Amino acid sequence: MHHGNHFYGHAHVLAEYCGLDGGDPPRIEGYLQHGWNVVDGLGAGTPYAPGRPIFVWSERTRRRAWSMDRPLATVIGAPFLYILRSTEDDAPEQPREGTIWYPFHGWEGQKVSGDHHRLIDEITATEPGPITFCLYWNEFQDERIRALYERSGRVICHGYRGYMRMRTDPRFLHNQLAELRRHKRVASNRLSTAILYGAAAGCDPAVYGDPMYLDGEDTPTAARIRREWPELHGTAPDPETARATALAELGDGHLASPAELRAILGWPAFGAGLPAKVAA
Amino acid sequence: MITMIGGEMPDYAEERPPAAGPLYRHLIDWLPAGIRVLVAGPHDAELVGALADRRDVTCLLRSQPDAESLAARELSGVTVVCGDLSKLTEADRYDAVIALDGARRLCSPEGPQLDWTESVRALKRTLRPGGTLLLTVENELGVHRLVDPGVPTAARTGDAWHPLADFGSAPGRADRLAALLGAEGLPVAGLAAAWPLPAHPTLLVTPETLKYGPLDALAALAAAAVAPAYRGRSVLSDPRRLAAASVRRGIGAELAPAWLAVAQRATRPDQNVPVPPALIAGPGGSIAEVTKAPDGGWLRRAVQGPPELNGPLPAGKLLEEQLLSAALGHDLPALRRLLTGWMAALPTVDAGDVLVDGDRFTRLDLTPERPDALARFAHTLATGGYHHPWPGITAPDRLAEVLAGAAGLTTAPVPLADPGDTLPDSRREHEEQMRALREQLADAEARARFFEVELEKREAELGRAKTQIAAFSGNLGYRAAKAGLVLARAARNRIRKGRT
Repeated sequence: MHHGNHFYGHAHVLAEYCGLDGGDPPRIEGYLQHGWNVVDGLGAGTPYAPGRPIFVWSERTRRRAWSMDRPLATVIGAPFLYILRSTEDDAPEQPREGTIWYPFHGWEGQKVSGDHHRLIDEITATEPGPITFCLYWNEFQDERIRALYERSGRVICHGYRGYMRMRTDPRFLHNQLAELRRHKRVASNRLSTAILYGAAAGCDPAVYGDPMYLDGEDTPTAARIRREWPELHGTAPDPETARATALAELGDGHLASPAELRAILGWPAFGAGLPAKVAA
Repeated sequence: MITMIGGEMPDYAEERPPAAGPLYRHLIDWLPAGIRVLVAGPHDAELVGALADRRDVTCLLRSQPDAESLAARELSGVTVVCGDLSKLTEADRYDAVIALDGARRLCSPEGPQLDWTESVRALKRTLRPGGTLLLTVENELGVHRLVDPGVPTAARTGDAWHPLADFGSAPGRADRLAALLGAEGLPVAGLAAAWPLPAHPTLLVTPETLKYGPLDALAALAAAAVAPAYRGRSVLSDPRRLAAASVRRGIGAELAPAWLAVAQRATRPDQNVPVPPALIAGPGGSIAEVTKAPDGGWLRRAVQGPPELNGPLPAGKLLEEQLLSAALGHDLPALRRLLTGWMAALPTVDAGDVLVDGDRFTRLDLTPERPDALARFAHTLATGGYHHPWPGITAPDRLAEVLAGAAGLTTAPVPLADPGDTLPDSRREHEEQMRALREQLADAEARARFFEVELEKREAELGRAKTQIAAFSGNLGYRAAKAGLVLARAARNRIRKGRT
């Protein structure tokens, strides 16, 4: 199906969870939601083959997709949650420290307008501990932007999400989870997928600072997000409330067992002799 | 030996089955021995035989062929009378009148066309003071009618010369039936709503119990009673759902297919036929009655059949309805919990025969085990016109695989034995399937166009790539090697020619 199923190694993660070859995931009969959004799970511009199901993260997204004339939606939860539930922290004794900060980015071809300097000043004034800036790959490759952030902290990139099934980093989400587990806080200037992942992985989330609008962005949507999820906004929202919301948005409680997921995605059923895994 | 009383129908045999079944049999067994009984209308010969065991029985039939066939059985103690109800004389008086077939098949085309009330009056005249009347009244708005694809007002049977259907004068509610009989001097001592069909009930529940009783369990019993009667039959919509929903929502008595009344021409307790809160005929000829316990709970007691039925009436709701409700509500966690619990506790019992109360799964009845229970539910979910959390999956066998996974199983579910033979064939669901198929077809056509566009893009890409490959493969080294190869071949050919 659509190459977006391979973004961030999502298909790889699910294949591995299902006991299949994570390096070469079978074709999925439908479309995976590959990021958190406030539309039908797929987002604008996804070339959608009619009559094919979409696999969304949460029941709330499914309801919204239904209302947006996308009735063939099935909730499977975020692939990140599958990793979170099945991957042990490899250094649990190491204390969590500092903040991992995700400056809002666009995707390839989108340009963010805003003042990086002012944002960095606000971040350093707010954050109590050391800061790790996690840049999107195209910003990470931009020497100028990277140097700007390097002055105020450590700068990392989780990897390349892949495009047209090329250069996909199947360990993208694993890298991200490992980083999140080392930090006490997760923050961004926009409520985004990374904040939800961070809150689910045990970081205290925060959303503050110049939202840095994209060129031609629908600003009412950004305002709606702030109105709809106030519990995740601010420099220090209540972590427990925020975590509950984040987990709900990622589809906590809705994860399918490997056998169920195989049947849903149109993958071969467990054959004789294959080990049965326990549902998350 | 038949007594012809006039008004008989010499060439007509009843087309619809007579009143029969274990519950009718159970009730008539209460009648005391040694009495005179009139059996009015078509009744199963076995029922007549049971009555005649210790009683003096007269059977009134309008159809001469039916009367002859009953007489040919030579049942001892049975007199067969053939003719019209209105021909019975005042001299014919009985201690009990059994009209479990109702009052509709008592008049022939020859005599006066008695309506329901007049028929009841005629039956009453044949009762001795203190005598007992057992009368079944079909509910024209019962579940069996609501799901019937046939048109009752245009019935084509040979006895439908007045197809009045719900324009007739028969009462339309259990309480009105009691009031009408009372007004005719036949006070009602017992009353029960009957499922699944008037002619052959397997569940009787009193209207009182349908108001204040264990409605969830009764709804489950109603669905279970209806299921076998509609196996493979064409219906407008699934009668199991309608029966269960009406009971659960408190209008079970109003939508029951029939009502049974036990009335008396005066009060004489020694002839009374007691009607318990509920009577259930189960598989294998078992009969159980439901009664209220002193502590307010509900007990089930096997009147006939295995002692496993004895004990408290299982609490909880019907698993099949719980599963459907979780599927419709897209409540995946609840659905998985129910499926897992079911497959762990009672994997080979049909979802329509399991009650679920929290984490407890109890078998409602002793119906035969079905190894394909999960696939059967998948079939219902896929084809029964229900929303569910996997709308992209339309094939029942694939949905069964998903359900098996959701139930925590890693083995393939046992495939469905024969859906056409075991589940009702509902036209409303056909409509829904037709709509879904049209949609799938439109989607498939749109997808074909979508793929064509994608293919064109890929072909263009491939064309560009081929051009690039050709351009790069035309470099100097490649051309030199190619020229060398051509020269070498020419030289070899010359040498070969020189040899010959």
